[in-house]
Amino acid sequence: MPILSLLTFLPLAGALVLAFLPRRREVLLRGLALAVALIALGLSVGLYLSFESGTGGMQFVEHAPWLGSGIEYHLGVDGISLFLVMLAAFLVPVSMLASWRSVSSKVKEFLIFMLVLETGIIGVFLSLNVFLFYVFWEAMLIPMYFLIGVWGGARRVYATMKFVLYTMLGSLLMLVAMIILHGRTGTFNLLEYYRLAGSGDWLDPRLQVWLFLAFALAFAVKVPLFPLHTWLPDAHVEAPTAGSVILAAVLLKMGAYGFLRFALPLFPEAVSKFLPYLSALSLVGVVYGGLMALVQKDIKSLVAYSSVSHMGLVMLAVFALNFEGVQGAVFQMVNHGLSTGALFLVVGLLYERSHTRRISDYGGLSRQMPVLSAFFMIAVLSSAGLPGLNGFVGEILCLFGVFRAGTLLAVLAVSTVILAAAYLLGLFQKVMHGPISNPAVRTFKDLNLREVLVLLPIIVLMFWLGLRPGSVLRKTEASAALQVSRVTGRSSVLVSTPAPSPLKAGKFSPLPLIREKRPAEEKDADD
Amino acid sequence: MTSWPALLPLAILAAGALILLVFEAFLKSRNKAYQGYAALAFVVSSGAVLIVAWDRDWAFFRGSLRLDNFGILLGLILTAAAAFVVLLGLRYVPLAGSNIGEFYPLLLFALSGAVIMLTTTNLLVVFLGLEVLSVSSYALAGLRLHDEKSSEAALKYFLLGSFASAVFVFGLALSFGASKSFDISALFKNLRPGSGTEVLGLAGLAFLLAGLAFKMAVVPFHMWTPDVYQGAPTPVAAFFSVGPKAVGFAVLLRLTAPLLGEGLRDDALHGLLTVLAVLTLIVPNLAALRQTDIKRLLAYSSIAHAGYLLLAVLAGDPEKLVFYLIVYLFMNVGAFAAVTALCRKDEERNTIEDFAGLGFQSPWLGALFSVFLLSLAGFPPTAGFLAKFYVFSSAARAGLVPLVILAVLASLVSVYYYLKVVVVMYMRPAPRATETDVQSPALLLVLFLCLYGVLQLGVNPGALMHLIRRAVAVLL
Repeated sequence: MPILSLLTFLPLAGALVLAFLPRRREVLLRGLALAVALIALGLSVGLYLSFESGTGGMQFVEHAPWLGSGIEYHLGVDGISLFLVMLAAFLVPVSMLASWRSVSSKVKEFLIFMLVLETGIIGVFLSLNVFLFYVFWEAMLIPMYFLIGVWGGARRVYATMKFVLYTMLGSLLMLVAMIILHGRTGTFNLLEYYRLAGSGDWLDPRLQVWLFLAFALAFAVKVPLFPLHTWLPDAHVEAPTAGSVILAAVLLKMGAYGFLRFALPLFPEAVSKFLPYLSALSLVGVVYGGLMALVQKDIKSLVAYSSVSHMGLVMLAVFALNFEGVQGAVFQMVNHGLSTGALFLVVGLLYERSHTRRISDYGGLSRQMPVLSAFFMIAVLSSAGLPGLNGFVGEILCLFGVFRAGTLLAVLAVSTVILAAAYLLGLFQKVMHGPISNPAVRTFKDLNLREVLVLLPIIVLMFWLGLRPGSVLRKTEASAALQVSRVTGRSSVLVSTPAPSPLKAGKFSPLPLIREKRPAEEKDADD
Repeated sequence: MTSWPALLPLAILAAGALILLVFEAFLKSRNKAYQGYAALAFVVSSGAVLIVAWDRDWAFFRGSLRLDNFGILLGLILTAAAAFVVLLGLRYVPLAGSNIGEFYPLLLFALSGAVIMLTTTNLLVVFLGLEVLSVSSYALAGLRLHDEKSSEAALKYFLLGSFASAVFVFGLALSFGASKSFDISALFKNLRPGSGTEVLGLAGLAFLLAGLAFKMAVVPFHMWTPDVYQGAPTPVAAFFSVGPKAVGFAVLLRLTAPLLGEGLRDDALHGLLTVLAVLTLIVPNLAALRQTDIKRLLAYSSIAHAGYLLLAVLAGDPEKLVFYLIVYLFMNVGAFAAVTALCRKDEERNTIEDFAGLGFQSPWLGALFSVFLLSLAGFPPTAGFLAKFYVFSSAARAGLVPLVILAVLASLVSVYYYLKVVVVMYMRPAPRATETDVQSPALLLVLFLCLYGVLQLGVNPGALMHLIRRAVAVLL
């Protein structure tokens, strides 16, 4: 069964069906869209269960000719993309459920765009053909453009235009780079690129520099790396809740994924030149995002800037180019998806009640809404990296990776934890504790069943990943090691770490990162 | 070899136009729909003859009219464009008042002129076709008699068009002086260094190019485009945006493809085309940013697309150019069809503001128009993306990387103004609660055929590419 194609195009098929249903039957529309998204989630869980953790190569590969001259239909999943696909498949139904009440106009179009967006995102993570990747990468912009522009806040048109133009600036130059790469190699096959890059007979270093810069620009805009981040606060703040969740939780990961999958392994010689600068930019992002978050008056823009800071840490870990770093980055991407998603959902729930996002309009909510308060607290602590929750595992892994790449870098990067604790706990205190300054707060009702159902799965996952990180890390480790060896050209990534016995599954340990020394798999599942 | 069927496509169109003109004069019917259906029948049967002629290489008049595969394929593009415009006319003409009865015959004449230009390698015959096409175009532009803008468009088109024709004839004279022949292939021989007449031949070629550039709406010969599109009836503007451009590029290909292929890359012709391409990529994209009239916007967009087409000419890749033209036909006619759908009785609603709220008032129309705009902007998975991608890759392969970078930046700018229309459709409330217009089936047919073209060619263009490859084999 072509499970990857099914997973990718099922939401699109659902969207097509929705297009022909009458717009007045809102419950039917919502139910059908949710069902489609849940089936896709089920498929992704099936993918997880049948995913073999021993090998770092691509699995479930589907390969078929398409347009000729190197343009092929080629899908595959490895440990890195597996969890990003799952994250997308998980958050789409959650945000549909969250928009049950907040999106009340033009419901049909909203659901169609959500499903099309899901197809685009999953396609991006599964494509092994660079051309196909680009098609999904660009096609995904269209539904996001509409989601922000139609259902967004007051400055939505400005925000959505800025989002599209920023992203396209980078990706169009990447297209040129892809064309040149194709001109040199005659193929768009990513695995073939990996093979050629490893064989020593690869591109001229000067050309590599230009191509790397074009790819890096496209992905850096998406992450976003400082100073290309300015579209992000606008887009996040103006987007509807569902849009913010998908944007922060999944779309930003596409940038980091792009670096890991394309920009770093394809141009190793250029990477060695630019790595210090990219690390520096990520570090600036960490500190700058954190400081900006400290002074925000709007809850949503606070969470948006916290994304800049957190993604900075993820990028630092990616640029550390060692096993712990990449493992941590992948894990932290999932974490950030969950915790930021939860935070945006909480903000959305508050906004539905109060129609304000200013922090100063809240205060003392915890007495009024104890359930929401508890969920909010867990999300905050997960984002701030409390041990026992998922954020801690990811952050500590990232920091270990960064530490191995440079001590000073790691010392500075730790500030992300401190800053996160400061702005998030400050936010929680101002919103939930203290006297009730706004009389409207007294009328707020606590979460209803649907709203609990929106947040509960995320909270459960936070605990699950915090207590049993092995369920993710086991599946990613082989791919992470392989991907690192592709970038650095060395297969012995783990040699420098001491090698205690591997973590027994189920036993909690903050150190699931160190595994036994073994040669990283050189054999690739190229077909 | 002489085979009279080579004349058949032209004969059908010309005879059809004359019959319709006579009917128009003597039948005092208020309803012009019969004319539309008859015109459609003539266009389709002429297209059918073209299809039959595929691979047969029919020629007449000692080869000065030759139905080679390249001419046939381009002729079919034009025929399809004309058929779409006739269908649009079925909705438009009843709304526009009674004085527009000559619409269909003039369109048939214009199409026959285009077919003449496409199916010859004799430059004098090209000129003949050019004039047939132009004169009927001037009249078509002025069909909205009660509207000053339309008359202005006709006059402007006429004056500048005549000037361009004169330039073309001048170039013809010079190249005849150089080569003692009107045949395109004879022209090449004199351009080779050492033939003694290369300066004269090159000057002739440059003037021919200027004349064609006017038809293709290439900067700096584009000044007429926005005014004419704005003033002309909307279906006519749709025809102008596709027909003359396709014809111009076809003739340009016949003129230059062998030259560019022969390694004459660094000569004056290449420099000239590069300058035109650079200007055509920059100027219209910037000018389009400030437009408030949808037809002017689409006019600048059509100029900008000429820039990408020129890039394909420079890359020496006729295959990708023809593919681009076909894709352009579908997405641009589709966009104009959506504009036509907004027309009311005696009123063209052309400002971008008229589209406010359309996306939710008429969801299908809004969605289709958005698809066409996104395709024009080059978003995957529409055909507009694939066409651009093909052109960019062959240009990069030909070593024109700086031009490609300029072109992608130009298309980034174009994203802004195409999306601006989408913003108005979806993100602004409708100014007043307007009743949704009832659309004619003919118009819906055009919209859905164009949608089919845009999506099919974006995802699976294999069969068409195969046809194109066989068609352009004639050139090389």
